[in-house]
Amino acid sequence: MTRASVSPLIRELRAALGAAQVLSAPADLVAYECDGFTIEKHPPDAVVFPRSTDEVARIVKICNRLGVPVVPRGAGTSLAGGCLPIGGGVVVMLTRMKQVIEVNLRDRLAVVEAGATNVALGRALSGTGYHFAPDPSSQKASTIGGNVATNAGGPHTLKYGVTVNHVLGIEAVLGDGSVLRVGPIDNPAGLDLIGVLVGNEGTLAVVTKVWVRLTPNPADYRTMQVIFETVDDATNAISDIIAQGIVPAAMELMDRGIVAAVEEAFAMGFPLDAGATVVIEIDGPSAGLDEQQQRIVKLCEKWNAREVLYAADAKEREKLWQCRKMAVGAVGRLSPSYIIQDGVVPRTQLPRVLRRIGEIAVKYGLRIVNVAHAGDGNVHPILLFDERDPEQVERTLAASGELLQECINCGGSVTAEHGVGVEKIRFMDKLFAPADLEAMRRVRQSFDPSGCLNPGKLIPSAS
Amino acid sequence: MATTNLPLIETITPADAAAVAAAVAEAARTDAAVYPIGGGTALDYGARPTRTGVGVSLAKLNRVVDHPARDLTITVEAGLTIAALRKKLAAERQRLPVDIPQADRATVGGAVAASPSGPRRYRWSTMRDYVIGIHAVDGAGTEFSGGGRVVKNAAGYDLCRLLTGSLGTLAVITQVTLMVKPMADTAAVMACDLGDFDTAERLLAVMVRTDTLPVAIELLAGPAWRDDPALGPMTDGAVGRLVVGFEGSAPEVDWMLESLAGEWHQCGVANPITVPSAQVEPLYRRLTEFPVGTPEPDGSAPLVVQISVLPSATVAAVRRLREMMPECSLEVHAGNGVIRGRFAVAPDAAAAMLRERLRPLVTQAGGAMVVLAHPPDADLDVRSVWGPPGDGATVMRAIKERFDPKNLLNPGRFVY
Ligand SMILES: Cc1cc2nc3c(=O)[nH]c(=O)nc-3n(C[C@H](O)[C@H](O)[C@H](O)COP(=O)(O)OP(=O)(O)OC[C@H]3O[C@@H](n4cnc5c(N)ncnc54)[C@H](O)[C@@H]3O)c2cc1C
Repeated sequence: MTRASVSPLIRELRAALGAAQVLSAPADLVAYECDGFTIEKHPPDAVVFPRSTDEVARIVKICNRLGVPVVPRGAGTSLAGGCLPIGGGVVVMLTRMKQVIEVNLRDRLAVVEAGATNVALGRALSGTGYHFAPDPSSQKASTIGGNVATNAGGPHTLKYGVTVNHVLGIEAVLGDGSVLRVGPIDNPAGLDLIGVLVGNEGTLAVVTKVWVRLTPNPADYRTMQVIFETVDDATNAISDIIAQGIVPAAMELMDRGIVAAVEEAFAMGFPLDAGATVVIEIDGPSAGLDEQQQRIVKLCEKWNAREVLYAADAKEREKLWQCRKMAVGAVGRLSPSYIIQDGVVPRTQLPRVLRRIGEIAVKYGLRIVNVAHAGDGNVHPILLFDERDPEQVERTLAASGELLQECINCGGSVTAEHGVGVEKIRFMDKLFAPADLEAMRRVRQSFDPSGCLNPGKLIPSAS
Repeated sequence: MATTNLPLIETITPADAAAVAAAVAEAARTDAAVYPIGGGTALDYGARPTRTGVGVSLAKLNRVVDHPARDLTITVEAGLTIAALRKKLAAERQRLPVDIPQADRATVGGAVAASPSGPRRYRWSTMRDYVIGIHAVDGAGTEFSGGGRVVKNAAGYDLCRLLTGSLGTLAVITQVTLMVKPMADTAAVMACDLGDFDTAERLLAVMVRTDTLPVAIELLAGPAWRDDPALGPMTDGAVGRLVVGFEGSAPEVDWMLESLAGEWHQCGVANPITVPSAQVEPLYRRLTEFPVGTPEPDGSAPLVVQISVLPSATVAAVRRLREMMPECSLEVHAGNGVIRGRFAVAPDAAAAMLRERLRPLVTQAGGAMVVLAHPPDADLDVRSVWGPPGDGATVMRAIKERFDPKNLLNPGRFVY
């Protein structure tokens, strides 16, 4: 973008928001040139910090008029480059809109501004007996708006569903700067716009406020850690548990590589020689939990479980989950750079896909460690490499591509919860036929006719 | 085939999705409207159609395409009946836990398009949360798919949810992949009569804090519920009944029944009714069929509406409805704030009843209302059936124009 066109933009943004809410000095913009996906970088023309829906609307109108891209951003933990300002534009930070506006237990809902973090909502709910079910591992940082925009999931998605199952209403600014409000009352008179807005990755609207459903806290838990000799045994046991009609609250797999990282970081006492560790949690009223646990343990034993460790109390349970959620961060100790992949396969294909990931690691001479929301068939292979070595970057990207292709070959998809962003846009035409993508383009044009919202993300432009 | 008010020139029965696409493309060429027909159970749902056209029956698309039982998913063609789907799933001890009326005739595609609501939506939600893959034909006769066969998928926009509840106005659904659930070991229902509406609200507030995990929280009021076979006769003077459903393993369900009885006891409910397990399914069926159910005592077809309010506004709205129209019967998904009401009315008075009595009440309660069924001769326009256009109307119209630019699919019936 030329200087001449930047200046009126900055001038108008300052006039609309006040100079303090607008960053435009190159040194200030560096922090916004990428998100959790660090392979591509590009600085925005400006970063703005609106304090209200009305200010967001004003920003979008200005950008729309000047033909400047709008890139919504929460905490910037996207692993798909959803916040990357590909061709410049204005990054709209939602982080100053972070109020939990209302907690309404009688109606089992909370009203939250988009920039509130997932964990801040959790804090606001503590002691009420309720929680917001989606629990991405990034929950300390990631925002409710970001969770909505990516349809985030987490370990407990297996039983409780992903973000879309917990959104009752949305207030959002559309591509033309108009404000849309849907919900929180369920009205069959119309299309399911909430269903479409959740997971839109900032391409259909800037979400400013969300009405979330509250879920009662389980009365009781049984949390265990099952140690398997091999990944194959673990995935077969998981597949059997699901096939038996048991739906645990969570079933999280960690392979030997990730366990090593976790051990180094937290010294939990996980065995370093085991092929896989699976954290399984069941929850609900105490009655019946022990019986269910026994059924699960039996199935694990059938698949040669070496050891089952039980969390004795709330504290031990908490520690186990902490460590599962910090597992990804612990990888930082193993490698200067890493890519957290996100693929999903039909649950019975889990053994096959994890075997193939192992083969791909060998083929490309890379270290790949695995965590997985295994009960959903959702794998997160983490590819370790050194960003400073272009040849390694090349190999890593090629391996990433091959393992995503493997997910497609297994009847799965290239993202379960992290979204498409820029990272996976080249896979969309492998997953979908031209007519399918055209249908998605129609949706996009309907919400954002001028195409100013997060361009270049989610669907490839028509060829 | 059901009798219907649809203005059909003819009905065709294509053999597969490609033939559906060809039929729609042909209609687009000749500018004829297209009315997709599943089991014919909801053809009169919506406003009166505006153009004559071709009925496209999905009856021949009735195959189970794939049932990888261990994945807990199933892919079926749209014309498969819900009853046939249930049978297929039951063989693997699985189920689609959505309550769908007239399951013997209703089809999977129709259930996705019309997205009915039932008592167990409190726990199990509606069709929107089960469709993980979809194949359909748009208004130009082009086939497209959305989603896939995995239970979690963030690749692109959610076309499954876009089409669910769209009443066949964006595309003719030809195939869907569903996420299914294991069958529950046992189910039970507990109920009590409500002496007055304050008690009703107090008990519903208890249901918010309960230690139990209900699958259904229903409030029943009016003549239709005076003597239910599973619940027995309602106490004289009671304003209604609270019905709570549980499911799970036997010890779990027993524990929940006992716990809720204890919680209710503290609120002065002395002798709750426990419905024997064999009668639980039939009771759910009666609740599910309530909007379609039997005609009024004089044989006429009732006006049936669905009102949505916040859960906390439910009892007040029920009270006003009952006071205003003592002859109405209500089935209320009280945990969700969804009130379904049946009103006896002469066909030519239905529009006025909606406009003058029901809408003002709903508006005052901050809610929304749609007509689920109406006397065949009641001539209801779009606003009578669906209410005033909401905030999303512009976007919805834009979507409609792009998926069905010639307005061929079910013209006039939905909100646009
Ligand atoms: C260590 C780590 C662990 C993670 N674990 C998980 C996990 O378990 N499960 C999971 O699902 N994800 C996980 N993620 C990915 C990421 O945290 C989630 O996608 C999260 O929901 C993003 O929230 P955010 O606030 O950081 O959004 P951002 O990264 O700021 O934005 C994400 C996308 O949403 C758009 N967006 C953000 N806010 C809005 C808004 N208000 N309106 C419209 N669009 C908006 C952006 O443009 C972008 O496309 C993890 C990430 C990391 C780094």
